[in-house]
Amino acid sequence: MTVPLLRVDGLGGAFRRRDGGLTPVLHDVSFALQPGCITAVVGETGSGKSLTALTILGLQPSAFVRRSGRILFAGQDLLALPPSAMRAVRGRRISMVFQDARAALNPVFSVGAQLADVHRLQHGGSARAAWDAAVEALRRVRIPEAERRARQYPHEFSGGMAQRAMIAMAALVCTPALLILDEPTTGLDVTIQSDIMELIVELCRDRGLTACLITHDLGVVAESCEEVVVMNAGRVVETGTTEAIFTRPQQPYTRRLLAASRLDAAAA
Amino acid sequence: MNGAPYTVLRTRGLAKQYPVAGGRRLVAVDGVDLALDAGRTLALVGESGSGKSTIARCVVRLVEPSAGEVWINGRAVHAMGRGSLPELYREAQMVFQDPNGSLNPRMTVRQVLHEPLRLHLKLDRERREARARQLVEQVGLTPAHLDRYPHELSGGQRQRIGIARALAVEPDLLILDEPTSSLDVSVRGDILALLLRLQREMRLAYLFITHDLQVVRHVADDVAVMYLGGIVESGPVAEVFARPAHPYTRALLSAAPVPEWGVTRTRLRLAGEIPSPIDPPPGCRLVGRCPLAQPGCSAARPPLVEVSPGHLSACPVTLTAGDRP
Ligand SMILES: Nc1ncnc2c1ncn2[C@@H]1O[C@H](COP(=O)(O)OP(=O)(O)OP(=O)(O)O)[C@@H](O)[C@H]1O
Ligand SMILES: Nc1ncnc2c1ncn2[C@@H]1O[C@H](COP(=O)(O)OP(=O)(O)OP(=O)(O)O)[C@@H](O)[C@H]1O
Ligand SMILES: [Mg+2]
Ligand SMILES: [Mg+2]
Repeated sequence: MTVPLLRVDGLGGAFRRRDGGLTPVLHDVSFALQPGCITAVVGETGSGKSLTALTILGLQPSAFVRRSGRILFAGQDLLALPPSAMRAVRGRRISMVFQDARAALNPVFSVGAQLADVHRLQHGGSARAAWDAAVEALRRVRIPEAERRARQYPHEFSGGMAQRAMIAMAALVCTPALLILDEPTTGLDVTIQSDIMELIVELCRDRGLTACLITHDLGVVAESCEEVVVMNAGRVVETGTTEAIFTRPQQPYTRRLLAASRLDAAAA
Repeated sequence: MNGAPYTVLRTRGLAKQYPVAGGRRLVAVDGVDLALDAGRTLALVGESGSGKSTIARCVVRLVEPSAGEVWINGRAVHAMGRGSLPELYREAQMVFQDPNGSLNPRMTVRQVLHEPLRLHLKLDRERREARARQLVEQVGLTPAHLDRYPHELSGGQRQRIGIARALAVEPDLLILDEPTSSLDVSVRGDILALLLRLQREMRLAYLFITHDLQVVRHVADDVAVMYLGGIVESGPVAEVFARPAHPYTRALLSAAPVPEWGVTRTRLRLAGEIPSPIDPPPGCRLVGRCPLAQPGCSAARPPLVEVSPGHLSACPVTLTAGDRP
């Protein structure tokens, strides 16, 4: 077994309620991301998938109180890093496509300008080169007429186009070692979804990217992911290779999830 | 209401264009005819950016159509004054694609659910609260969630609040724009079961926009497939999915991944760039990408033609070739 790129180790915590009390949300969450692989995180809505991802990036909500755990990234405990060091990791070494893509775009700047800005911040170079890189990134996520679209504002994009723009930003304009994608393809039709997943697979193969894909789409998991982490109610209930999870699920929750993924069978 | 067919929603020639830089026009929706009866579900599927959300917003006048007619319960929605739109929202409600942007961040879930009950149903406080509790439980949450603000909920929890809010006033027509995209498969199953039960009990009509073809198969009676602002194929779900006539529909169906290990599928790929909706050329919308394209395809826009009872397709090539899978 190779050394994982990222290890979440015993992460636990609670939300501080407005009445001052604590509601536990994460319980001893542990899993590892192998380099160059796509690992899926699947499970119940509200089980803590997004919260775990945000904590990796140091972007957890202020009401979240972490009570235990380490997050080791390339041997370094991210939770022990000072904020300035964490800012250097974020975007450069680890980037994320947020669950709500449209809200992550700034409404007052054109989409291309936002991508170009990030490009200059990360790679330097001329404004012209940054703009060209932004347009090229939009083209690679299959946005038609990328040059023209780059000049548009987020509200002029359809839901799926905003999502692709965020994928372009996190995966292509940024060149991270680890890419976290929180429900990146929910707003996309299946033809474009397949193209996007092929792009991610290609980046893992050619650039050695490591990806963590939070998704409810078990079809995408079966087709594109190597490893699976199953979460339920703030806990990791099972981890394994995709083949093992689909063909030999050990936990009742995993079995229920797989059964529910086939709607017709579930209804019958 | 008896069981006779009764058309809740009808659109005729519905169109929406946006002006863009250089004096050009972006054709978001290009002459769409839909009909939806009480107690039925029409699924709207298709390419990202093909105009599905725009149709939904035009139907409830959140966006002003550029042309065409919208009829809900026999009422000419396109001709209604802005002032009478609240009456419309008693009959037609929408679940938005983006649950974040559609929930006021400064309102608790309780306030979100009380508002339509107060405005449209004029319920007193006590009855509103009882109904709000019933609604959160119906969508699989608990009364404890009533005190939360949207940012204190997960993506799937927010999405279910959007569904609860739309159901609150018991509309005749519910427009659902990607309502289950953030739900795990088991909650998705529960929400779909709830929608199907309410439909049976109250003869609700659903216009159901989704990219999830399994959901379409499970809940919809009819399906309309959109590409670049127009419908390219429509008909009963079982028929369209078993015998897709339009090359775009075939490509779409072949691209859906299967939630099982070791299934290899042959993807029918469309070549080339996705075309732009800005000043689209005449002729078939798929022409530059279609494996079956003929010289005649770029001359004029092919109309929807019936290929079997109730099943319409806008591809003359597959029709004449008798090329049915
Ligand atoms: N600010 C907050 N205050 C209190 N509870 C919160 C807050 N933010 C999130 N939660 C709760 O924490 C839990 C975990 O949320 P998280 O967003 O990680 O879920 P998730 O697994 O990503 O779900 P989904 O699949 O629906 O996106 C949820 O039950 C949610 O209600
Ligand atoms: N306010 C606007 N200004 C300019 N163009 C717009 C505006 N709103 C939508 N559009 C354009 O109209 C077209 C249709 O968008 P719409 O949101 O209806 O697509 P959709 O089918 O819902 O896509 P998705 O599946 O990605 O949500 C797109 O090309 C989009 O960029
Ligand atoms: Mg989430
Ligand atoms: Mg949409």
